[in-house]
Amino acid sequence: MYPTEFEYYRPKTLDEALELMKTVEEPKVIAGGQSLMPMLKLRFYEPACLIDLGAIPELKQVKLDEGGNLRIGAMVTHFEVIENGLIRENAPILASTAENIGDIQIRNRGTIGGSICEADPSADYPPTMFVLEASIVLLSKEGRRTVRIEDFIKGPYETDAREDEIAVEIIVPKSTDQYHVEKYARRKADFAVVSVAAIARTASDGSIEELRIAAGALTDGPERLKSLESALKGKKKDSVDLQTSISETVDALTPISDIHGGEEYRKYSLKMMLARVIKELIE
Amino acid sequence: MMEGLVKVSIDINGKKYTDDVEPRLLLVDFIRDIARLKGTHIGCDTTSCGACTILIDGMSVKSCTMFAVEADGRKIQTVESLATDDKLHPLQEAFWEHHALQCGYCTPGMLMSSTFLLSRNSDPTEEEIREGIAGNICRCTGYINIIKAVKDAAGKINAGKETE
Repeated sequence: MYPTEFEYYRPKTLDEALELMKTVEEPKVIAGGQSLMPMLKLRFYEPACLIDLGAIPELKQVKLDEGGNLRIGAMVTHFEVIENGLIRENAPILASTAENIGDIQIRNRGTIGGSICEADPSADYPPTMFVLEASIVLLSKEGRRTVRIEDFIKGPYETDAREDEIAVEIIVPKSTDQYHVEKYARRKADFAVVSVAAIARTASDGSIEELRIAAGALTDGPERLKSLESALKGKKKDSVDLQTSISETVDALTPISDIHGGEEYRKYSLKMMLARVIKELIE
Repeated sequence: MMEGLVKVSIDINGKKYTDDVEPRLLLVDFIRDIARLKGTHIGCDTTSCGACTILIDGMSVKSCTMFAVEADGRKIQTVESLATDDKLHPLQEAFWEHHALQCGYCTPGMLMSSTFLLSRNSDPTEEEIREGIAGNICRCTGYINIIKAVKDAAGKINAGKETE
């Protein structure tokens, strides 16, 4: 299968890339291409011009800024997210999340920026990014802006990025709280049927001091489960009615319903997964 | 140069191949049709089966899911790089001994994924081998013999290193 014809550009600097985004006809950015190339082959996208970000060194860096936030270049591969010492130390949940992505070949080539900008509702990073309260840095000739992940992902395959903007960096606040990230798929390399990311901190008296939970594989994209968080936060772990709180939250959600799992099955599985994840975190 | 073509130069198994190509030319087709190395197979053409797996700068990737232009200036290893002269690579020998192939269509990809795995982990457990070939589909063997072969090859490569 072949994509439609396109012109190919491989800028060596961000400035050059931003200029191209403004001047060429119908540009589409290619990062690792592990989602985009299958889409191009299926001709879901037929861009006139492809801008390859693979030759811009500054997009491949991982840094820790003065505020203790990780700054991860958009072209950092999933493989590097797993292996990188700074990420493992300052946001280990992110490294664990990357381990769940696709298969090794995809992790070797796919990038964190590409995956987030693809905004697939069943993708692995978004629930984790939601609990980490990460942000995306967008750059264009007009300037730079930083968008919270929850505002950036607007729906399935839809983001807040304008046509002339490039996502250059993911800002991830340091998080060394207890975490758990879980994904269920029939085969290892498949997209999630159900996925959950959560971080928690319990106080010495056994109360739940901090709890952030997000779910993926939902029809409208990933969601922070705020009603569940507030039902549990501040409570003693022995005094919470976990099953009722989980049921109330999940019954209000709309999981994807397709050949990989119907809505009822996915809701049931999500309840089981949430109960397991939360119990593990608070005990 | 014809309009719209891009000059691409790729080192494949130590030999440089240069041509003017359409930007949409898939890397696997550059390898098979321009470098004329037919060992790398096209299975699904949809990033699912791993038959087209190669190493680029030492990292395993599916060559149906990269454009040749993206590989310009880089170093590629295909299955043809494994055997030297008349001597099979220990992985190839182990695949033979353990009957790790039937039709053989997935084998080049399996070998390259296993090569990548052993380059990072010289003594993988069964689970690590399963994870290492999770991106490669085989419809004949049921994987058991492939796993045995990789395990055996790892042992032989390590034993060889010790006697050196």
